[in-house]
Amino acid sequence: MPNDEHREGIGGMINPRRYGIERVAYLLMRLSGLGLLAYFIGHIYETSNILRGQVGWDDFMELISGTEGHIVMSIVIAMCVFHTVNGVRVMLGHGGVGVGKPARPDYPYDPASQNYRHKIGIYSAIVLAAVAMMYGLAVMFGE
Amino acid sequence: MRESTIMKIHYGTALAAVALVAVHILMRLTMGYAESLEYENVLANYKFVPYAIMLELILVLLAVHGFNGLRVILLELKQGRLYEKAVSYGCLVAMIGLIAYGSRTIIMTNMGMV
Repeated sequence: MPNDEHREGIGGMINPRRYGIERVAYLLMRLSGLGLLAYFIGHIYETSNILRGQVGWDDFMELISGTEGHIVMSIVIAMCVFHTVNGVRVMLGHGGVGVGKPARPDYPYDPASQNYRHKIGIYSAIVLAAVAMMYGLAVMFGE
Repeated sequence: MRESTIMKIHYGTALAAVALVAVHILMRLTMGYAESLEYENVLANYKFVPYAIMLELILVLLAVHGFNGLRVILLELKQGRLYEKAVSYGCLVAMIGLIAYGSRTIIMTNMGMV
């Protein structure tokens, strides 16, 4: 049997039911990254409309300034904040910050790096993303 | 290039982009959100050279970070010599294309070619 048949592929990668909140953070980090890249490409195209002059710019602004546009933007804000805060946590972890000290592996073999400090980091990223999303909605719909 | 070097670039571009994007967003809040997006105000932003330079820096930083992130995700999904080369060069070409397209907008608007 070829080795390829043992791989879970995308299904294994996105399965959030194993490994706790760390796996959820792993999944959200990738989803938010892909979402932000898609938004970034769209934003570059959107801003190029300024080369069409005032009429072209106003037409495009009208298209994205509706309720749907504001909702999409609020999701982008949430993805941006989560990706940033969780990214800082990951960077610190890669640098050895908050991952615990090396110790003899004893039963039940809890990974030292998956400790409360990093769990707090992940939950903080989710809460801050939600707060930023609410603030963004208040600013955009408050106009 | 070694993967460890690429990851250092990935983290460096992320930290620099966070600082510059914060300034970019704060510029939207110096006046009302809708007012800041009016044609004259956006045009004035582009014609202010330090701001145009900052936009160009954000463009380069985010394009490098974004497409390297996409490359990392695609390499996690599947491996193989040909596949890895195709993904790496594909992301590089897309990154250069996006930077070129965005730079065109910044340069043409800054020089008044609108």
